[in-house]
Amino acid sequence: MSKDQQLRDDRLVFYRNDLGRIDRVLEEFLRLAGASTVLLIDKEGHMITQAGKVPSFNMDTISALVAGSFSATREMARLLGEKEFSALYHQGERDNIQLSLVGDRTILTVLFDDSTTLGMVRLYVTEAVRKLEDLFVEICRGRSDPNAQGRADMDDLANIKNSAKDTLDALFDGN
Amino acid sequence: MVQINFARKEINCKIVYYGPGLSGKTTSLEVVHQRTPQGHKGELTSISTDGDRTLFFDFMPLDLGTIAGMKVKFHLYTVPGQVYYNSTRKLVLLGADGIIFVADSTPGRMEDNQQSMDNLAENLTEMGREVNRLPLVIQWNKRDLPNPVPLAELEAKLNPNKVPTFETSAKTGDGVFQALKSISALVLEDINSSDRKQAGGIQNNAKRAGAPAVQSKATASEPAGASSGSMPDRDAGKVLRPVPTPARTAAAAAATSGATATATAQGGASAKAVAATKPAAAPAAGPAPRTAEPVAATEPRAASRAPMTESKAALKNEMQQMAQKRAEKPAASGAATHASSGNSKMFAFMALGILAGAVAAVVAAKLLLGF
Repeated sequence: MSKDQQLRDDRLVFYRNDLGRIDRVLEEFLRLAGASTVLLIDKEGHMITQAGKVPSFNMDTISALVAGSFSATREMARLLGEKEFSALYHQGERDNIQLSLVGDRTILTVLFDDSTTLGMVRLYVTEAVRKLEDLFVEICRGRSDPNAQGRADMDDLANIKNSAKDTLDALFDGN
Repeated sequence: MVQINFARKEINCKIVYYGPGLSGKTTSLEVVHQRTPQGHKGELTSISTDGDRTLFFDFMPLDLGTIAGMKVKFHLYTVPGQVYYNSTRKLVLLGADGIIFVADSTPGRMEDNQQSMDNLAENLTEMGREVNRLPLVIQWNKRDLPNPVPLAELEAKLNPNKVPTFETSAKTGDGVFQALKSISALVLEDINSSDRKQAGGIQNNAKRAGAPAVQSKATASEPAGASSGSMPDRDAGKVLRPVPTPARTAAAAAATSGATATATAQGGASAKAVAATKPAAAPAAGPAPRTAEPVAATEPRAASRAPMTESKAALKNEMQQMAQKRAEKPAASGAATHASSGNSKMFAFMALGILAGAVAAVVAAKLLLGF
């Protein structure tokens, strides 16, 4: 298998059960840290899941900016001779954002205001990151034999090419 | 990379507009944004210079609608086209699922087009990907201008793989949507073209690649592709070992007194990151409870960067003295100080007790034995 093929296969897939378990970790983190919202996004800037208060801003945009910000920081780390900067903090007057790398491909984005402290958030983020990394390993182990639900989900995708035509025609034609 | 999220019933893909500077990438994206019906688009966000040149990227989320029961969302990005911004261009290109190459049809821009196309192939190769295996379409842009380069010449020079091409004018919007529709279809086709139906990828969350995903050519000993599932498990341990909680907690305390944005180095305290990027800020940070080691560790690096001026030498001496003082003093935390003073008291009491016992024994012996 070529490297290109390998990368193509490397897409991120989250089944329903996986997300349920991830959400539980995020909700527990929010309860302990007192943060308002937490987003788990992948490094391409796509949101995976969200817990807590639904923010008023567009979550796709914030996810893309977070991923961009993190990738720029990673390049800075490389220039400094660091392997990676695993966390990043943005401080505002009222709202703050704490970003932490989870494994290699996801970023935990915590939004919090002055109702809690950075120390509390960082303390529990470390714990949540560890739990999520363990969870990803566990999920990955179960992937060798996807459950029936997972197989059915993937089978549905087989029709996507045929179903896409009408949708694309409707959206793009006439422009 | 495509993200398939069955829980949210979403498929997320990344499309990148690539091409030389001023070829019309941002304008194409603006056209898409203007003409996409409400409800299918998010905000158009630009990270650009004051002169409206793209500095990092332009971004807009595009909601294609529901296909096969899944909500399909495309994230559309543009790269900065100027040669100078190749490092940020690579960051945007990373993980792209499809590319729209925007070539400038103006006579005199052929070299720039060629250079940008070569740069695309080069950057993808660095990432362990191949330009001819990635969904790609080309916009021959600025066809509305007088005397554009003939299509045959553009095709011959820039499209050896015969990918779909479209005559466009980003200014008027002509052809832009056709190109986007074409790449959308190619990307969606690509989703289930892979033989591997049970896709994974998540396992890489547990395996931090040995090398950063974006590397300079000189240091690229291992392409980003090496971060794929076939990576040996030896790296899993590195990832799963969390940063020790006390270090993080100390870092958190230190960071609150620091700059508005800090980055924490993996496995280390944020003090190191702050000092490494801003050595001069260290003395100003004052008596923040940090250990002496990270500050001292950055010294040789800072010293080796440039010839030291007198003021820098003075600053270095000051920092060394501070580091020495911190090292000599017990740890900054009050608890540690209490603990150490408590221990010395205990030892003093024990010594006194032994001494008193010895004196008592001598006195008793004198009395009993009468000498």
